[in-house]
Amino acid sequence: MSGILEAEPGDTVLLMGNEAIVRGALEARLSVATTYPGTPASEIGDTLAKVAEKAGIYFEYSTNEKVATEVAIGAAASGLRAMVSMKHVGVNVASDPLMTFAYTGTRGGFVLVTADDPSCHSSQNEQDNRFYALFGGFPLFEPASPQECYDMIKKAFDVSEELGQPVILRTTTRVAHVRGPVTVGEISIGPKKKEFVKEPARFVTVPAVARARHLVLLEQLSKAERMADESEFNTIIRIGDGGRQGIVTSSAPANYTIDAAKDMGLHVDILKLGFSNPVPSRKMLDFLRTHDKVVIVEELEPVLETQVRSLAQREGLGTKVLGKMDGYMPRAYEYDQAIVTHGLARAFSKDLNEAGKCEPPHDLPTRPPVLCAGCPHSATYYAVNKATNKKALFATDIGCYTLGVAPPYSTADLLVCMGSSVGTAGGLAKVNDLPVIAFIGDSTFFHSGIPGLVNAVHQGHKFLVMILDNRTTAMTGHQPHPGSARDPCNPGAISVSIEEVVKGCGVKWLKVVDPYDTSAMIEAVKDALTQDSVSVVIARRECALIAKRDEKGAILKKHYIDQEACKKCRTCVTKFQCPAISSIDKLQTIDEVLCAGCGVCAQVCPYKAIKEAP
Amino acid sequence: MVDVYLVGVGGQGIITASKIIGDAALLAGEKVILSETHGMAQRGGSVVCTARIGDRAGPLIPDKAADVILSLELLETLRAECKASKVTVVLSSTERIVPLSVSTQKMRYPSQQEVVDKMSSVARSVTMVDAAGLAGQAGARMSSNIVMVGVLAGSGATGLGRDRFEEAVKANIRRNVDENLRAFALGFDQGKRAKA
Ligand SMILES: Cc1ncc(C[n+]2csc(CCOP(=O)(O)OP(=O)(O)O)c2C)c(N)n1
Ligand code: SF4
Repeated sequence: MSGILEAEPGDTVLLMGNEAIVRGALEARLSVATTYPGTPASEIGDTLAKVAEKAGIYFEYSTNEKVATEVAIGAAASGLRAMVSMKHVGVNVASDPLMTFAYTGTRGGFVLVTADDPSCHSSQNEQDNRFYALFGGFPLFEPASPQECYDMIKKAFDVSEELGQPVILRTTTRVAHVRGPVTVGEISIGPKKKEFVKEPARFVTVPAVARARHLVLLEQLSKAERMADESEFNTIIRIGDGGRQGIVTSSAPANYTIDAAKDMGLHVDILKLGFSNPVPSRKMLDFLRTHDKVVIVEELEPVLETQVRSLAQREGLGTKVLGKMDGYMPRAYEYDQAIVTHGLARAFSKDLNEAGKCEPPHDLPTRPPVLCAGCPHSATYYAVNKATNKKALFATDIGCYTLGVAPPYSTADLLVCMGSSVGTAGGLAKVNDLPVIAFIGDSTFFHSGIPGLVNAVHQGHKFLVMILDNRTTAMTGHQPHPGSARDPCNPGAISVSIEEVVKGCGVKWLKVVDPYDTSAMIEAVKDALTQDSVSVVIARRECALIAKRDEKGAILKKHYIDQEACKKCRTCVTKFQCPAISSIDKLQTIDEVLCAGCGVCAQVCPYKAIKEAP
Repeated sequence: MVDVYLVGVGGQGIITASKIIGDAALLAGEKVILSETHGMAQRGGSVVCTARIGDRAGPLIPDKAADVILSLELLETLRAECKASKVTVVLSSTERIVPLSVSTQKMRYPSQQEVVDKMSSVARSVTMVDAAGLAGQAGARMSSNIVMVGVLAGSGATGLGRDRFEEAVKANIRRNVDENLRAFALGFDQGKRAKA
């Protein structure tokens, strides 16, 4: 209820996991925070953006996750506490600095928050970022609730500083986006300045330094393991009378496990890990020795399971370990109580009550997300299809515009990650005869599109790059990017011109076009595709959700369909897509309230039946 | 323990509705946990929220386990069928937001009677409310979500007092507070009709 800053020590407030992380960090002497947005982590940055100035910390939306991490490293290496947050795939982008930062270690507490997305609710994959903790040697915290988000981020900073090592806090969608009561403490902000004390033998990772630092990292990790063994976040929860049956779990699955075990009437001990890397082997071995059968309940990869099995093998224990390697628990998608119940029933040979099962109705009209009324991307895709007759290959990228994959546009043929459109287009163009078009959003262009463009110029690749410049990072909640006119966190921010960047990359053919002007866009695309080098069209028009509207709610002018002029050809719904236009029982209409007044449909209608509203 | 399963369409204010329920529970000294599944749903997709009041660790509501289905949109009510059982109270707005698939794939939007019949066959009771009409009557056209929170409060299904809900509405709504409280009150009266 009260804002992140207003809650008084001792208050219990309803906070989202992401908000609880921010509140915890603000109580843990945070000085610098950075991010690049991405679901389900975005609210961390968006909350910080609102409170940073008032709280007295430095916060920025960085150009991408790698840069965000590096800015935070600069501050933490100087001795201040820094936090960087991102979605799981963001860590792939940031992994290069992270892997070696684990060698130098840190002076000020450094916490990387990664928000994983089992089931890909809003992501291109469901990778399990706990592997990064093992891969790079990072102590790892895995909160299961908003209260734990708050408690663990505070602890994570302390652990980081005590060990002099960067720490990872990993949430998942069902932790980051869950709201629950959080009892807060006192806000305590870190200093703004700290002088970097030079120590090249630690911080400049030439081979000789790196070799020496690797041993330091390993030594710190064994200290971390002792901390994990002592940690209050690694606890045993007894359900019923406990007994010789055990479960090891962490993160969101711990919640489903507790509910399932209670509802099933099990007598079982649950070892719930919150400080899960390095695995607290002493605690784990105790647990394995005192239980005959132990089930591992973890989403996605068998990270704990592999380690538990290897510990049991190393110590020659006869404890039966069950998990996903032997098919008791699934390895894909997020868990829920039913999935955990199913696995536990099989593992503990309990009867399963299937009465709770239900097949969802499948004959209902679907309601997938769609491009908004007035969305400039919609107009661009309409024009591209007109210009190419759909005879082109479309390398696309990540953002609202990815929705162009659906009919009627179908303007997406290849997508792997942010920034990939420009690089993959180069490969497509080399081996295909069809014209190739790369679509990339403005935020994505700055994030990771530029190296691909430089490569295309240098190698002489021949394709068209369309930079869909809606002046914002729309998909994740309209955060600013380097090209934005304003940055709410930084009034002095300088807007970087996309044109200048494109020209600076050596592109010889460039046009800036307003997508609402469909004939100009069609011409530009046709023209661009005749060039024999890489060409760039910047489709520039503000996202319809942030565009200025008149008193009637129109960006330009609201429209209606003149039913007498309408020839029922349905072009406005088969070649174009707008949530304000519906076609039911042969009647095409425009919803007056939903209409954004972009006027594109009037250009789409071959019979001029769509007219400006009076 | 009371599990409320909220459904609607992106932009209808379903997350705000869930936060009000959460705050009302917290004010009453209850444990509560909320979740939201929106994915890319700001762009007009289906949205699901859950509010679990009582001693639950997991935020998701298993199939056939909702005590209440609170829906802001008719078609979405039908989509929530799996969460209903013979104890479930269904409180649904009659509002229709026709998805594009009805236009483009020529699918049929179900009638209100079909929704009532289907849900009555699986749930304990079904109450239909003209939330949009009541919101308009209250002078808060965009507040169908608050009307439906009122319906929930009036049904008594959560066991939380009216004053807790009103306080929670005030805490979550900044603009047009009086109009929203009126919307809540109109919903509350309708909620009393529900067999909870
Ligand atoms: C590495 C990585 N970081 C972040 C994201 C989350 N994400 C998805 S789309 C997007 C930005 C989209 O902005 P833009 O390119 O401007 O397109 P728009 O949504 O505005 O059309 C982001 C940050 C991601 N998928 N991958
Ligand atoms: S939010 Fe903006 S960019 Fe995204 S679909 Fe809507 S209008 Fe288009």
